[in-house]
Amino acid sequence: MAEQKVAERKRPGDGAAPHSELIGATRAESRGLIETWWQEMSEADAEGRPVANVFVMGSIAEILRCFDLPMSFPEITSLQTAVRGKQMEMLVAAEDYGYSPDICGYVKVDVGLHLTGRNHPSGKLPRPALVVSPNTCNTYIKWSEIWERMYGCPVFVLDLPGWRGTGGSVLPGSEEFERDRRYVEGQLRELIALCERITGKTLDLDRLREVMGEVNALAGLYDEVVAENKHHPAPFDAMLDGLNYMGIANAYRGDSRGTAFMRLARDELRERVRLGMGAIPDEKYRLLLIGTACYSHFRRFLELFHSWGGVFAHSEYMSFAGGGIDRGIRYELERPIESMAEQILWSAQQSFSGIFFSQDWQARIVREWDIDGICFHGIKSCRTVSTGLPDEREWQMRTNDIPGLFIQSDLVDARLWSDAQMKNRIDAFFEALASRKAAARR
Amino acid sequence: MLVAGVDVGSTQTKAVVMDGEPKVVGRSLIETGARLTEAAQEAFSLAVVDAGAEERDVASVVGTGYGRYRVEFGETQVTEISCHARGAVFLFPNTTSVLDVGGQDTKAIRVGGDGQVLDFCMNDKCSAGTGRFLGAASQALELPLGDLGPLALTAKNPVKMTTTCTVFAESEILGWLALGRKMEDVLLGVHVAIASRSVSLLRRVGIEPEITFTGGVSRNAAMVKLLEELTDCPINVSEESHYCGAIGASLYALDRALTRAAAGASGGVLP
Ligand code: SF4
Repeated sequence: MAEQKVAERKRPGDGAAPHSELIGATRAESRGLIETWWQEMSEADAEGRPVANVFVMGSIAEILRCFDLPMSFPEITSLQTAVRGKQMEMLVAAEDYGYSPDICGYVKVDVGLHLTGRNHPSGKLPRPALVVSPNTCNTYIKWSEIWERMYGCPVFVLDLPGWRGTGGSVLPGSEEFERDRRYVEGQLRELIALCERITGKTLDLDRLREVMGEVNALAGLYDEVVAENKHHPAPFDAMLDGLNYMGIANAYRGDSRGTAFMRLARDELRERVRLGMGAIPDEKYRLLLIGTACYSHFRRFLELFHSWGGVFAHSEYMSFAGGGIDRGIRYELERPIESMAEQILWSAQQSFSGIFFSQDWQARIVREWDIDGICFHGIKSCRTVSTGLPDEREWQMRTNDIPGLFIQSDLVDARLWSDAQMKNRIDAFFEALASRKAAARR
Repeated sequence: MLVAGVDVGSTQTKAVVMDGEPKVVGRSLIETGARLTEAAQEAFSLAVVDAGAEERDVASVVGTGYGRYRVEFGETQVTEISCHARGAVFLFPNTTSVLDVGGQDTKAIRVGGDGQVLDFCMNDKCSAGTGRFLGAASQALELPLGDLGPLALTAKNPVKMTTTCTVFAESEILGWLALGRKMEDVLLGVHVAIASRSVSLLRRVGIEPEITFTGGVSRNAAMVKLLEELTDCPINVSEESHYCGAIGASLYALDRALTRAAAGASGGVLP
């Protein structure tokens, strides 16, 4: 293992922190933090304290944290169920109940968990006392209605208006943007009132500033983490480690433990870069992932790329699932609620419109992260991230001469995984990349 | 020097033996069945016999096709995408686009002058619009596969198929017959459905002449004619098109044998 070689490669007297302490520290820390997160949710449930169900594309953790509401992220808990290999029983339970096979796999795994006693492989899935549902994915709203029916909990739908113009023509500061910002700010104030009713607490503005300050710090560190992968070899795999970074960034958003984690991740990556340690032993190809991984076959999915020396140097997932932390969130703490409304609106608008301008984002990442090819992974049960992928692939090839691979499976549904077909397409893609590199050398 | 390529496809296994020129000197084609390793070995042995040689004379073997990892006596495996690209350029050196319609896969490939894959696209995981669809038509109509193309070419008024799904093919075909449509019109409709789907895949990688059509379905004259109409380009087909994957695999085998020979090693890979 690459990690075992580190101690041997330690150079005495170079003034850096001991390598053995930093290398591998991020993964260990993330495991610990996820365990703690589960403990907090399970305890809250056992003690009958309210828990909020929230989503990765707009959790509004900044406000909920001020009311000490533990947050459950059903997308993350469903994903974890699949990584732990327990998703099929949940999918079947949801389908037996009447949900169609076409519905988002995350929803069905979650419904299955709720129908079968909320026994998640990592702990007790709490009963929601409140749901905050942004309109960043249509499914969020329908999903929230399921809990509303099951538990009678209030659902707060955060309506974020899209761009009123094309290509970012309606910028912050413009009259139209200001109108939308006020609309979002009004909703945030309603959410605060709802949280006050549910918890019996009053919003402490100083606490809110503190939490938002942590988000500012987290976002800055997150940018640094992602940028470390511009190095060769890439010190982390955006599909594997990127998922950890993203998970902690969501679960601990606005919490000093999350900020400390991201600082640790950045420091470990810098150490790896200094030592020339790549995420995989022999990096040959640098890839960008569009879509998500297939979590029912996560190890295998990675292996199919890693075995060719392919590392994911970047992933779109690290962008869209972060509730705007990659979009340069810098809250102005002297006017917290106004500033929050502005930033949430701006990042959501960029995400909404991202679908129409994704080619520009992809081309920039390819340039700056020195990417050899893009893997477009279509998710059968998620149209939100899969729409237009074959066209994007074609566009990048024709317009920018960027090689692309299009494959399809699902987030969690093992029935939609076909190993031979996946391997065939991935192998062919790497063969083409190899001959392309060979031709470039000639 | 002799080399070989073995293409273990979902329906049929093809093997080719080539000499160092390189020229095809032996070939074989058998049904794959359920035992892939045995099918690969049998096809290889038959091709060697066809070449009038012995297995020990073969310096390198490369496996391809979905069962390529079952070519256990091979030196390495290369996907059929790379092999069809290489084989197509070998058969038609000016090839820029390759369409391979196989038993369960359809592949559109854009190639460089040396057979390098520049881009490729494949059908979705299901076998809609692939050779399997013709198989379903042949079963539903109780006609041998080889008769489908010639009969379709006699049609005057093709039906418009609404599906390329292999599972629904049979019921739709029977539905048209029940409405009194002629068998040839139904068949031409089936061919049009597959050809349109294949051409839309080709468009994804870019249609440029020359287009070389490979795989089992390339022997079907109606498909060739429809593809020419839909792409407005002449379509290259050869007697060897069905063996294109195995030819590409043997060219990869030849690379390896030549590299080894240049490095001073000798002898075949087989005992
Ligand atoms: S974005 Fe996709 S995976 Fe996430 S909730 Fe929406 S449909 Fe499901």
